[in-house]
Amino acid sequence: MATQNTAEPAPPGLGEESGRLPEDGAADAAGGPRGNRSPGRPARSSASAGGNRLWTVLMLPGTLWMTAFLIGSLVLVATLALGTTDPLGNPRFGFRLENFSALAEPAYLEVMLRSLGYALLTCVICLLIAYPVAYTIALHGGRFKTLLIALIVVPFFANYLVRMYGWSVVLSDDGPLLQGLRAIGLASDGTKILQTGTSVVAGLVYGFIVFMIIPLYAALERMDVALIEAGRDLYGGPLRTFFHVTLPATRQGAAAGCVLVFLPAMGDFVSAQLLGGPDQIMIGNLIQDKFFQGQNWPLGSALTMLLLAVLFLGMLGYLRRARKDEAEALR
Amino acid sequence: MTTPSAAARPARRGTDRKPRFALAMTVAFFAVLYLPIGVVVLYSFNSQKSLTVFKDFSLRWYRDFFHDQLLIDSLGMSLQVALVAMAGSLVLGVTLALGLVRCRNRLGSLAGLIMLVPLVTPEIVTGVASMLLFKGMQIPLSTGTVMLAEITFSISYVTVILRSRIAALNPEVEEAAMDLGATRWQALRLVTLPALLPSILASAVLIFALVFDDFVLAYFTTGVDPQPLPVRIYSAIRFGVQPTINAVGTLMLVGSIALIALALFIPRLFGRRGGLDLLSGK
Repeated sequence: MATQNTAEPAPPGLGEESGRLPEDGAADAAGGPRGNRSPGRPARSSASAGGNRLWTVLMLPGTLWMTAFLIGSLVLVATLALGTTDPLGNPRFGFRLENFSALAEPAYLEVMLRSLGYALLTCVICLLIAYPVAYTIALHGGRFKTLLIALIVVPFFANYLVRMYGWSVVLSDDGPLLQGLRAIGLASDGTKILQTGTSVVAGLVYGFIVFMIIPLYAALERMDVALIEAGRDLYGGPLRTFFHVTLPATRQGAAAGCVLVFLPAMGDFVSAQLLGGPDQIMIGNLIQDKFFQGQNWPLGSALTMLLLAVLFLGMLGYLRRARKDEAEALR
Repeated sequence: MTTPSAAARPARRGTDRKPRFALAMTVAFFAVLYLPIGVVVLYSFNSQKSLTVFKDFSLRWYRDFFHDQLLIDSLGMSLQVALVAMAGSLVLGVTLALGLVRCRNRLGSLAGLIMLVPLVTPEIVTGVASMLLFKGMQIPLSTGTVMLAEITFSISYVTVILRSRIAALNPEVEEAAMDLGATRWQALRLVTLPALLPSILASAVLIFALVFDDFVLAYFTTGVDPQPLPVRIYSAIRFGVQPTINAVGTLMLVGSIALIALALFIPRLFGRRGGLDLLSGK
């Protein structure tokens, strides 16, 4: 593997090593990044003919490790999804589609659709909250911009479980939120938030909104503010300027944020476990159940594959969209 | 709770009119962001078990934590796992990043793709997959399996952070070293690696904090005893209010916030501006 690539002419201009053109020949393969090294310089063929080999060797341990532990384990999940369990509940490999047809049962479909609904709703709510926040910080944050973004990012790195636990206290029946709402008459004594779909989605939003804020902030920050001024000079009201200028300019940031929120939200089981009730379980809870309590690993694997398939479709849609946007931008 | 007033400062650039709605939203957002964290910290000092009435200031839950051998064992295990995962993923991740940037061939692009997989896969999938792999290879789940799994998924973070830094380096500096007689290996060791030191340190701290706090992967790959601290917390809070968890949670919050702040500001210590690019992966 390592020697093969020294002979392979790479397309020019891609990077340092590939800057070398095929006709430079093996002796000048030493040339390195620019390829236009003056002939008077001593060739270091011994040092850098081994260059590409050195880089390949450096790359190998990490790649082999990830192939073994990551790709290997994912293949194992895919294989086991086609297997069965013996009467004792031990997983057996096989080639049956039983697990996937079992997933078509209404009970599973309901959980699947609910997870999809919760995850999509989480994206929408995150977008609605994150946009004004990112907008304010990027365009009106002044010299406090970096500090404000850090104040959002740092607590996000605090332990996810502890944050969710604190969130469950805030949303609890006697928690600060409901007490406040009752005080201003917006909630009655019987109003509950915990153990409802609202609290599960609220948990997902609280957990992952930072993934929406960062790309939106980056997009708004990159945007040329003169565009907004131009919109206003052309007698666009604030709203029209926003919808015709600002929003289109940051669409890619929003799309990236949606993917970054959708991925973890779809697979989450902590929010439904800590904030929801039995009627709010998501696909993550089902998977967890099949591997820990239910001990039906093949079915759990099939659920995992289904989750991956949904996410894959979502990613594909995003990538196609992004490519189209890029093509339009170039035109 | 934090600095909503800072958001209200006059704009330096951009639109002259301040959008009131967006401003109000931002203030509310910061309040809600810090409310749950504030509640945990506040009630960790409560003398009562209640999470709604704050009675007196007391350190009893912290005392309880330090006398709870199970929790202390878990803390020790989490620290071990974080240290080993940090060391392992640094070695594998830095070398992988160097290789990925410098080596432009088919193997390189394949390695680049594999490296991205953990970043686009939800943790529950990777958790289930790792657990099945260990079970399939007949490796009993233990501290060691958690370490192996955490290394695997930390490599990607190290590589993503380091890759952009390496690409930003001027290759001519390395060439100059080689023109002066250094071998490629010496140039790498004496020129490139020192230049990468701030990023390497920052990602080390980041990985330590991420692994220490990680729950999902640890949950699927840990044995029964000891269990990592986040797993222990999870089993405790599933069954209702546990004031000790407030104390543990507060200590963990302080720890990870300190570490992340450190990671963000390490590049500044080395005289480079900003550190937030670390997070956006740029």
